[in-house]
Amino acid sequence: MGILIHNVVAIYRKELQSYFASPLAYVIAGVFWLLAGLFFVVILGTAIQQVATLDLQGQQPVDLPTIVLQGFLQVMGTLGLMILPILSMGLYAEERKRGTLELLATSPITNWAIALGKWLGVLTFFTTLVVPLLIYEAIAFSAANPPVRPWVMLVGHGGLILLAAAVLSLGMFISSLTESSILAAILTFALVLVLWVLDLIGQNFGGPVGAALNHLSLLKHYTNLSQGVIDTSSLILFASYILLGIYLTAQSIHALRFQRS
Amino acid sequence: MIEVEQLSKVYGSTTAIKDLSFRVEPGEILGLLGPNGAGKTTTMRILAGYLPATTGTAQVAGYEVHTNPMAVRQRIGYLPETPPLYPDMTVEGFLNFVSRIKGVAAGDRARQVNSALERCSLQEKRQVLIRKLSKGFRQRVGIAQALVHDPPVIILDEPTVGLDPRQIIEVRNLIKSLAGSHTVILSTHILPEVSMTCNRVAIINRGHVVTTGSLADLMHQLTGGISYELEVAGDTTEVQLSLQSLSSVRQIECSLLPGGERLQCRVVPDLGVEMGQEIAATLVKAGISLYEMRRVRASLEDVFLELTTEERTLAAADQPDFQSSSQAEDVA
Repeated sequence: MGILIHNVVAIYRKELQSYFASPLAYVIAGVFWLLAGLFFVVILGTAIQQVATLDLQGQQPVDLPTIVLQGFLQVMGTLGLMILPILSMGLYAEERKRGTLELLATSPITNWAIALGKWLGVLTFFTTLVVPLLIYEAIAFSAANPPVRPWVMLVGHGGLILLAAAVLSLGMFISSLTESSILAAILTFALVLVLWVLDLIGQNFGGPVGAALNHLSLLKHYTNLSQGVIDTSSLILFASYILLGIYLTAQSIHALRFQRS
Repeated sequence: MIEVEQLSKVYGSTTAIKDLSFRVEPGEILGLLGPNGAGKTTTMRILAGYLPATTGTAQVAGYEVHTNPMAVRQRIGYLPETPPLYPDMTVEGFLNFVSRIKGVAAGDRARQVNSALERCSLQEKRQVLIRKLSKGFRQRVGIAQALVHDPPVIILDEPTVGLDPRQIIEVRNLIKSLAGSHTVILSTHILPEVSMTCNRVAIINRGHVVTTGSLADLMHQLTGGISYELEVAGDTTEVQLSLQSLSSVRQIECSLLPGGERLQCRVVPDLGVEMGQEIAATLVKAGISLYEMRRVRASLEDVFLELTTEERTLAAADQPDFQSSSQAEDVA
């Protein structure tokens, strides 16, 4: 067990170090923060205008901060759909292309430890992207009336990170199937898009199949969390996607060596 | 230290290696010599536990590669055909990472990394990003990663490919210095490389071990294998006598061919002597009619002919790279 943690940490540190040296990581961070800031300002502005209109009409005041937070988290989820496949695309595809997988595969370290370390590394990177958003949200909401409950904010952003964890895990698996990063990104994007709107597809089916598809939808569970609703079934679903991704990755690397036979 | 028995590997419909068997004793350097496509890389990959063999067993440091992969992986250092390097890491950072995943204890890490840097003459490059290194230095970092955890068995797949002549000499000296304390198996298609670095050599061709032994033995076998087969008409004793008059004949065998008129003789000359002309001249002078004469090569020679024996062509091909590498050094 100790050796497993030691190995996971070794891979994790290597992954984090590589983000510091990689121009791609800086570009992604810059674009993400720029777009996130832009959307936040736009959503905030639109919501304030709407509230002002409602106020003029003399209607019941609305919970503005919650509307802004939910709207913003929805947009962040969608932005994640675009950015997460780019983060996960190179995890294994690059290792395969550079031949470094041969080093990892001949070192006394299990496929599980490699997959887990890589997944934790990329998830940490995404979390680093999300944390600054909390700061400017906190500044904007500090003057809000009614005040935002901090745990709603935390649960919402926790949901965003859980969503990312699931997408990155599946993306990592797809990355392990190919030597081409671009191909991995495209396939991951397609898969995640399908999982995102699975509830819409499920509606067309109806019956038990429809219900099952509906339950597997990422969007539905993410929406729950972004509203501050902690539903055990959502947590279990995200955890299942994460475990599935890591398991499939480890298996695919194992199978890769037999495939060449 | 390494025991390979009846190893076979089939890729789809092509057989990469078939019934390969050889041994490497502790502290020995074995050269796996063979032309391109002989199955060297496949053998190395199986020994390193990267590929499973189709049939047969391979034992490294007392553990079977397939059934006990983790034990084997702890005891080997492996340089694949293309050095496995992360371009965005520094040389030292990379070696630190490798020593971690190879399970070097935290207290020994700095010392081990330093000694690997020193052995591969990489001290000046320790803080340089790997992507800025020239090909020769990258190859050396590749060798350093195979040594950094001081494994008892070291597997090197074509360790001198892409190096300039000076670097080749350095790397060969480095490999020689590993003998005794480490068991080394290296693959190459360059004949002089084996004679300069290895105690023993296994020659493989088309997935078979053609022969194993010390290089001197092999050379002996090679030249000792030349013989001349003659078909002549004449008296057995007369033919033998005239052939024996030649100075460098080692052995003569004659037998009567069916029909009773012609003789088949096999003449084995001394090592390294070509005597076709002399034989023909002697026989003609003695009035013996010569119907056929063939120079018979040892099977080994076919393999040798496919091997690179000329190092100059290699050096010339590397010349442009040498220049670019010196430029890269300036930048660094």
